[in-house]
Amino acid sequence: MSTLHNKTIVITGASSGIGRQIAIDSASQGAATILVARNKSRLEETRQMLVTGNHFVCPFDVTDFGNIDGLINEVYEKAGSISGFVHCAGLESTIPFRNMKAEIYENLFKINVIAAFEFARIISKKKYMNPDGGSFVFLGSVMSRFGREGKVGYCASKGALTSSIKAMSLELSSRKIRCNVILPGVVQTEMINKMFESIPESSVKQITDQHPLGLGMPEDIANMAVFLLSDKSRWITGSELVIDGGYSAQ
Amino acid sequence: MKKKDFYNELIEFLELDPVDLDENTEFTSIEGYDSMAVMSLIAFCDEKFGTKINAQQIQKLTTVGSLMDFLGREKFEN
Repeated sequence: MSTLHNKTIVITGASSGIGRQIAIDSASQGAATILVARNKSRLEETRQMLVTGNHFVCPFDVTDFGNIDGLINEVYEKAGSISGFVHCAGLESTIPFRNMKAEIYENLFKINVIAAFEFARIISKKKYMNPDGGSFVFLGSVMSRFGREGKVGYCASKGALTSSIKAMSLELSSRKIRCNVILPGVVQTEMINKMFESIPESSVKQITDQHPLGLGMPEDIANMAVFLLSDKSRWITGSELVIDGGYSAQ
Repeated sequence: MKKKDFYNELIEFLELDPVDLDENTEFTSIEGYDSMAVMSLIAFCDEKFGTKINAQQIQKLTTVGSLMDFLGREKFEN
């Protein structure tokens, strides 16, 4: 039996990397997926990768906060009540602290934190959410627990997201909405490849060596996301789930 | 941009100790030029010139002059 049968899942950042993989795996488990990201053609590429189902491409800038309610209302009209939300949209930044600026922090927090909160808040409304409840999954990072040069802004944003999950899970438990955050180590995605280009080769080697099981693949994270979206994880909420190939075991 | 202003901005952005830069100055010869300075140099190119450069490209630019070549000579004057 497919674990996400009859569930409609909204996925931000579905145009690439982990978000795309979560869409693929959710669809293969029977979910209807709502694919959200800015780039329409890349979202269409994602949809082409999904098994046939009730999937929708929604080109949207997740920082367009004033229009999220309109988007979710449109989703509800097309796909019915929502059972799950995954916030994969994210911004990575590797800039030395001495060169950081307010607007860089603002951009990081808008995408990594506030967009997650606003989507979750709006989707959790009674009029949109499945009355049987559902599951919200957020993509944090082990960088919310560990440091690395050039990551002050990124660590702070992922830390803010992660530390919100317990409070959110308490508030939404009465509506049977579970909230969890996955803390991945370094996963081989386009975003990470870009980050690797901005740091010395010696640092790339060091990061790779710090993962005893090697760097992760998007499916390593998608497996956990699908589990958290499914009813098999019905007693898990307010949790931080580390999936990092042993990075934090050291 | 005047070359002298460019040198000064570079020193300030990378928080290098005051040093007399010229086109022939090799980055690795500058006191305090380390892996963080490389990251800063990448941010400097992006913020000040709107030019994206990666760590592999930066490593090939050994002198201040080669960085100026990369950014475009037309952007500098004496």
